[in-house]
Amino acid sequence: MIIVALFLATEYRGQDTLPYPVGLLFRLDPLAALAAAFAPGSFPWAILWPAFALILLTALFGRFFCGWICPLGTTLDGCGKALGRGPGGLYPGRRRIKYYLLIFLVAAAFLGVQLFGLFDPLAIFLRTLTLSLYPAANLMLSGVFDFFYQHSVPLLSPLFNGAYPLFRDTVLAFQQPYFTLSLFTFVLFVVVIFLEKVEGRFWCKNLCPLGALFGLCASRALLVRRPGTLCTDCRNCTERCRAGAVTAGGHRRQECLLCLDCSDFCPERRVTFGFSKPGKGRMGIDLSRRGLLASLAGGVLIAPVVGIAPPLYRRNPYLLRPPGAVNEEEFLRRCIRCGECLKVCIGGALHPAFLQAGATGLWTPLLVPRIGYCEYNCTLCGQVCPTGAIRLLPLAEKKKEVVGLAVFDKNRCLPFAEGVECLVCEEHCPTGEKAIVFEEREVVVEGVATNLKFPRLLKKRCVGCGICETKCPIEGSSAIRVMNEGESRRTKDAWV
Amino acid sequence: MPAIDRRQFVRQALRSALAVTAMGGVPVLDLWAATAKAETLPPVAVRRGEDIPDLVRRTVAALGGMGAFVKPGETVVVKPNIGWDRTVELAANTHPLVVRTVVELCLEAGAKKVRVFDRSANDPRRCYVESGIQQAVEEIGSERAVIEHMDRRAYRDLDIKRGVELTRWSFYGPALEADRLINLPIAKHHSMSILTLGMKNLMGVIGGNRGTLHREIAESLTDINTVIPSTLTLIDATRILVANGPQGGRLEDVRIKNTLIASPDIVAADSAAVSLFDLRPDEIPTIVAGARRGLGVMDLTKVRMV
Repeated sequence: MIIVALFLATEYRGQDTLPYPVGLLFRLDPLAALAAAFAPGSFPWAILWPAFALILLTALFGRFFCGWICPLGTTLDGCGKALGRGPGGLYPGRRRIKYYLLIFLVAAAFLGVQLFGLFDPLAIFLRTLTLSLYPAANLMLSGVFDFFYQHSVPLLSPLFNGAYPLFRDTVLAFQQPYFTLSLFTFVLFVVVIFLEKVEGRFWCKNLCPLGALFGLCASRALLVRRPGTLCTDCRNCTERCRAGAVTAGGHRRQECLLCLDCSDFCPERRVTFGFSKPGKGRMGIDLSRRGLLASLAGGVLIAPVVGIAPPLYRRNPYLLRPPGAVNEEEFLRRCIRCGECLKVCIGGALHPAFLQAGATGLWTPLLVPRIGYCEYNCTLCGQVCPTGAIRLLPLAEKKKEVVGLAVFDKNRCLPFAEGVECLVCEEHCPTGEKAIVFEEREVVVEGVATNLKFPRLLKKRCVGCGICETKCPIEGSSAIRVMNEGESRRTKDAWV
Repeated sequence: MPAIDRRQFVRQALRSALAVTAMGGVPVLDLWAATAKAETLPPVAVRRGEDIPDLVRRTVAALGGMGAFVKPGETVVVKPNIGWDRTVELAANTHPLVVRTVVELCLEAGAKKVRVFDRSANDPRRCYVESGIQQAVEEIGSERAVIEHMDRRAYRDLDIKRGVELTRWSFYGPALEADRLINLPIAKHHSMSILTLGMKNLMGVIGGNRGTLHREIAESLTDINTVIPSTLTLIDATRILVANGPQGGRLEDVRIKNTLIASPDIVAADSAAVSLFDLRPDEIPTIVAGARRGLGVMDLTKVRMV
């Protein structure tokens, strides 16, 4: 609930600075901390210290986060109940997959390819909420309100119209959010949910790399379950434990989610949780050497293979990143695809990448100016980024940050192509001294000499905010497009 | 001066429209229509002063007070320019004190409801806050005065019967349905229409892809104005933007003028504001088109300065 409230708070509501905790979830996220730690550049301690606090708490108390806080786990529990869950415990060996996945991800990240975000449960949850669930819910709710606003239904219409302001000011988005990749993101989420049909908490038990990380920390936790082994007269726990933590061999501390259900369902009320000496009665993770080497090798190999892709900015000159984004290589290593920036973007400018940013850039934020523009006086994306992939710039600096450069397409731009006046781009250009200026020239249009104003771009003033591309009134592709030429974050450019 | 009420205005406008249509748009005969209207000699008030609330009150008082425009129990829309994410001193939006005082005057005249809104160009939430107008209206603390964001559901497509460039466009319902509309533009430079004043400010209550209007902006704006009659136009020229308009962003482009211009005749008000920029009304195509098509009086010798 708190997490959903924080999600709703990740929206501009008239203050330049967001209230503190909207990004808390990811500041707690050890995978985000890992991503940032393996990235070049300094580690954002100020943002990510809560993740270390969480690791420490997990080492003391076990995987309480998975059982009590993780929003994906909670969703799976809820949906699992509704869907009906498959029988658990058929393949207990599957639990090792998550450790192999974690090892693979760490090895790859160490060598420069950061894929934590694809599998981070917090990122999966939040980006699905951001990209699919919330916009869809908003669309449906607004649709209902619209219907009763436009059609006068006795009794119901006054009711809905009366309730509208309350919803508008709290739950509904200020503008209907639109995103690319909504369906794709949603389908993957549904797949994770439907794994519940195979066995309860399939994702958490078998796949979740964050669970694996917590498991590693928790294997010497002080908070333990008693009895530590299975009772001889009853096997209830092995079947009912949602995490499959109670096995014939004993209680696996690193798998236990501390849901404490077993203390409730134990027919004899024997189960208690209490503190013990570290390491006492502990069971190992027992990964196979072959599996360990294979996952390590996979991570080591994928890095150079990804690394031989040619530079992105040459392949995709329209690849734009949010203002304050660090250089592309570091950006890909830092961004954990959580979707916070997509959610908060006031102009609807940020959208998740599919393959535009390369195969490993899935879900990273792109600035797509034809859909929305970067608001000149706004710094929200830098405020919510949990890993420093988008730096938090003071407003004065942000206004100078060059995202790209607008370029006219004179084959489409009205004065050039059709001899018609326009200048909408000039009107909206936000820099104090406009980057788009105009010159008046006499031209012959269909045999008649006419004075026309022609827009022109002054390279030094343009920051690439893209409002010109958004507002360009012609249909289809804009007559002025922002390219990533000259962006501030690029450390070196072969042509300059 | 007899108060021009809305109904009378619409009737008058329709009559001039008929005249224009009947005469087939021959310029000479158009002038006749303008003269016919000039017989009523629209009043124009120009006042100067540094105390903005006092200035607003003096300017409106010169036109016979707000009571001449707003009757008790009426609903009023006050339409300032809240177009840009800019602070007060940058002269991109109407001054919040002008808005506030006008709203107060409407309340004092007995208005049942005063609604303030504009369709911003930048993010509306930012514009409402940064302009200072949201706070100014909320500080009045009256339940009868509200500042609100545009309700996307309330736009409707209407025929523009007198349209030249546009025959149909989307308009914001609440602006048309109110008993009175008070237009509060700020005087600014604008590269396409040279200046943006009262007639251009009413672009803030239309929907659709407004950028396309720039192709024939003078006629398009006149088309729009034939549908949205305003009771009173009060032009904020306490500070004006002389370059890099309409959103500015540099104090170097702002000039302090401490002036307000008000008239029930939107074309007359706009014409009277032009001299602040060292221009003549006939240099502004929108004003010329508005006068030619009977929206009001451009010739400042044919208005009554009060």
